[in-house]
Order: sequence, then C-alpha cells, then structure tokens
Amino acid sequence: MTQPTTIRTADAAVVGAGPAGLAAALELGLAGLRVLLLDEQSAPGGQYYRSPGPEAVREVGDHRPAGARLIARVRACGVRVLSGHTVWGVEDDRRGLLAAGPDGDPVIVRADRIVVATGAYERSVPFPGWQLPGVVTPGLAQHMCAEGVRLGRSAVVAGSGPFLLPVACALLERGVRVLAVAEAGRPYTPRPAALGALRFPARLVELASYTARLARHGVRLHQDTVVAEASGRERVREVTLVRRSDPRRVVGRHGADVLCVGYGFRPQSDLAQLLGCDMGRDPATGDPVPLLGAAGRSSVPWVHVVGEAAGVAGAPTALLRGRAAAFDILAARGRTVGRRSRRAVTARLASLARFNGLTSRLYPDPARLTAELAAGLPGDTLVCRCEGVTADTLRSAACLPGGSDVPALKGSTRAGMGPCQSRECGPALDALRGRGTGAGAVPARVPLRPVPLSTVLHLRAFGEET
Amino acid sequence: MRKRTAPRVSVTIDGRPARIRPGTSVAAALLEQGRWDFRTDPVSGTARGPYCGMGVCLECEVTVDGRPAVRACIERVREGMSIDTSAGEVGP
Repeated sequence: MTQPTTIRTADAAVVGAGPAGLAAALELGLAGLRVLLLDEQSAPGGQYYRSPGPEAVREVGDHRPAGARLIARVRACGVRVLSGHTVWGVEDDRRGLLAAGPDGDPVIVRADRIVVATGAYERSVPFPGWQLPGVVTPGLAQHMCAEGVRLGRSAVVAGSGPFLLPVACALLERGVRVLAVAEAGRPYTPRPAALGALRFPARLVELASYTARLARHGVRLHQDTVVAEASGRERVREVTLVRRSDPRRVVGRHGADVLCVGYGFRPQSDLAQLLGCDMGRDPATGDPVPLLGAAGRSSVPWVHVVGEAAGVAGAPTALLRGRAAAFDILAARGRTVGRRSRRAVTARLASLARFNGLTSRLYPDPARLTAELAAGLPGDTLVCRCEGVTADTLRSAACLPGGSDVPALKGSTRAGMGPCQSRECGPALDALRGRGTGAGAVPARVPLRPVPLSTVLHLRAFGEET
Repeated sequence: MRKRTAPRVSVTIDGRPARIRPGTSVAAALLEQGRWDFRTDPVSGTARGPYCGMGVCLECEVTVDGRPAVRACIERVREGMSIDTSAGEVGP
C-alpha cells in the first residue's frame, strides 16, 4: 500500500467550511487569490449549513437554503474545496498543514496565510448512563432530523442554552413525541437581564415561536432541571430528571428511547493551539480560545482565527468574522478593500456581541454548572467514555500528588486519552481534578483526530526524503 | 408528504441489503433501519451508538468497504457501499 503524499500550495488555506470559513474563502477567492478550503465532512457547510446531498434535500427539504447559495458562490469564484480532508497536525515550521484525505491518503497543504475556521462542538457533562446508545447531543438530533430520520418514538431534551428549543421542535416535526425539555437554568423566567434583549426583537420572536410550538404540542418546559440518570440495557429506556437546586427531588421519570443532552458549545481551538497561537480564556465560559487582535489576527503573523473557534458567538457573527479576516489579509497584500464595507462589518459585529452578552447572561455559567454537576456524580459514573474511567477513580487520583494537574490526571488514569482526546469529558475532568474549574483546558495533541497509521508512516517516509 | 419516487442507493449493512436515500450520512442510514449499536466498545464490551453527530466523539466508527474506523456521521452513503458494525467485537 503506497499512498504518495500530495502537496498542495496556495495563497491562503482555510480550515473549516462552515459559515466563517466559507465567508473568508469567498472574499479571498473573489479577490483572485488561490484558495484551498479544507473540511473533514463529505460536503462543505460545517454544522450550521450542513445538509444531506441534493437528492435527499429534494425529498426532505433544506432547512437553511442560504448555505447552499453561499457554497455555490464559493465554488464559482474559484476556491478549491477539499472535502473529506481531516487536518490532524502541522509541520515543524507551523506553516504546513498535515491532513488525511478521503481514503486516509496523506496531504500536506502549504499556504502563505492560514485561516483557522474549525468551529465549535457541543459541551457535554457526563451523567450515569450517558454512554448508552440513544443518548445523543442535541446537534446529532438536529442533523438526523434534517436528514429525514425519525430518531425514536419519544424523546427527552435536556441541558442548557437556547439551542434545546429548536432541537425539540425539529424532533416534533419528525414525529417524535417530546416528553419534556429540561433547562438547567431559569432563562425563561422574566427578569431585568432579559429586558436588554428587547433591542433585538427578531431573535426574541424566534425564541418565542419555539416555545409556542412546544406549548401547542403540550411539551413541558422544566427549568432548574437536569438529567440524573439514563438507564436501559442495549439502548436508553428511562430518563430521570431532577431539580438542579435540590437533586433529591425527582421532577419526572420518562420512558424515552432518545435522550438529547447538551450544554451549549465550546470553541474547537486545538488547531490554533498547534499552530502556536497564544491562548487565553473565553471571558464568558472559561474555554481556551486564541488571543486575537483586530479581524481575527492571532499572535502568529500568518494565522487568522475566525468563527466559533475564536469564541462561540453564533453563525451571523461567524460569517462576519470570516469576511473581516479576509479583508485584513487582502489589505496586507496591498489590495484595496472598500472602507465602507469594512466599517459595516465592524459595526455589525459589535452589535451582535452586545446581544450575545445578554443571551449568555440568561443561561448558567457553563464552567460553574459543569463543576456543580461533576461534584454530584455517583462514583461509578463513566466520566471518560472512551477509556472507561469512573468518577471515583478520578476523585482518588485527584487526591494524589500532582492530581490538580489535568495532564498528570490523564497520565495516571488514562481519562481523556481515548479517541475523542477529551473533547467530551474535558470540562468534567477539569472539574474533578484538585482545585478544578470545569473549564477544561486540555492541551492540544497530535494527532488532533485519529488517523490511519499508514498516513503518518507515509508522511514520515516522505519527510526523510526531502 | 414525502415523494416515494425518489431514487435509492443499494448498500449492505452487515451483509444485509438495504435501500437508502442518496446523499444521507452512513449514521442516518443505520438509524433509519433502527440500528443504534454501531460498534462494540473495546474497553467495556458494551454497545455504543452515535453521540456527537459531527465527527468529534468517534463513537460512531464503522467499517466501510473494508476501511476501518470511518466516522458514520460524516461519511455519506454511496451505491454499492458495504457497512460493517462488527468492529470491536471479540473474534477473528
């Protein structure tokens, strides 16, 4: 099996074909730059604009047609879209990107400029039974609904954040009975902080339309409620909801074959980390994020970080961040970019930031919530679902010398060392270590994704030749 | 109402033929058949199904056309594709 390494060069390489990456690639492409847009999924769109293939869309509909239009424009302006390409590392000079192509074939991408648009993923907090088939993130539920799949007969949707509501509605639309929506916070109880959102009525109307639809279907929206346990043999069968402020109080036991749990989103900033970008913490969530200057400039001169990878702020912000970074790159190359369009982007970004600030104040602080939930976990709960490490094992290890250090905790227990590289258990690991915060700062490691050994071997052979 | 005249691709799931809407993910194809046990967890020996749906948790890995560890959630079905969920099971 000889798979030669493909080397591709470009003026700019954009990693991630979600809203931010597409927007950046479009502006760069329109200006005539040679642009490579790499993405690990089988088609561009990221999570926000993800849709099944055209044949399936014809059958089940497209819930976000703006994505298809943007993708068509990106392709039309000459951007080379490399789908099915997983970027898993960087070359020693931190300029070349190491990727695995659709069949695991090694690919090296070298470009003058790198735009990191790797997006976000959902924040998980372990609970007893979360490893059972049928327990999924709200994002999985939304994708499968968009693909026309009816996930099960009846579902419970739980966690925290505004995303739970559209997911519950999508399940209803596919004929799944939604037994309850459980929100850990109390965002839907009117209080002064919420009034600021009145300046953004469109978003409020959207939220209200979801709650109205849920009410029409008789779906109970519980606040101050969390999942205590999911049980079943080969698949989830029962879900127990309890009061967050008084976990002994059972809110409901539901016979459900689908349980969607998610606590909002975390920036996927590990590629930025590998590229050597100086990192800080998101002020709202404590998550590791790159320290950025204007227009997504990182501390590494040739790297911009845009979209959710720069800090979770939603798709409208991601699109604008992508454009802003592209304008910045073009300006640095001596291209003239209309001052008016640059100023408009900046103003719109500031307005969205104000709205996001208000929204995040409505929901519980994710790091504190993670710490609180992790502290209450029964000892036999699988915290690391990849390596099968329980809460008790971690608590014992946390008491040992060095137990306040996440890498040491990983080393002594193997927690967080499995295929997901602690993306799922990271915040909980951080909460369970001595003096933990629940924010989950786990250093990025190569490979960012498991890649076939042959990919790495061929790459090494290649490196020795040159 | 769904149109039933839409085209289908033929795949095999653990050797059994199935007709799937083209353009859907392998994960959607399995779930539509009511299959939630995508693989056996080598550590605990228990069944695991798809979790994150976006390629980060790797719980949905299946074997596609003999290629192991393919993330079912981000791979799309193709005509003639063979999908195998027996990875992680004890045996040859």
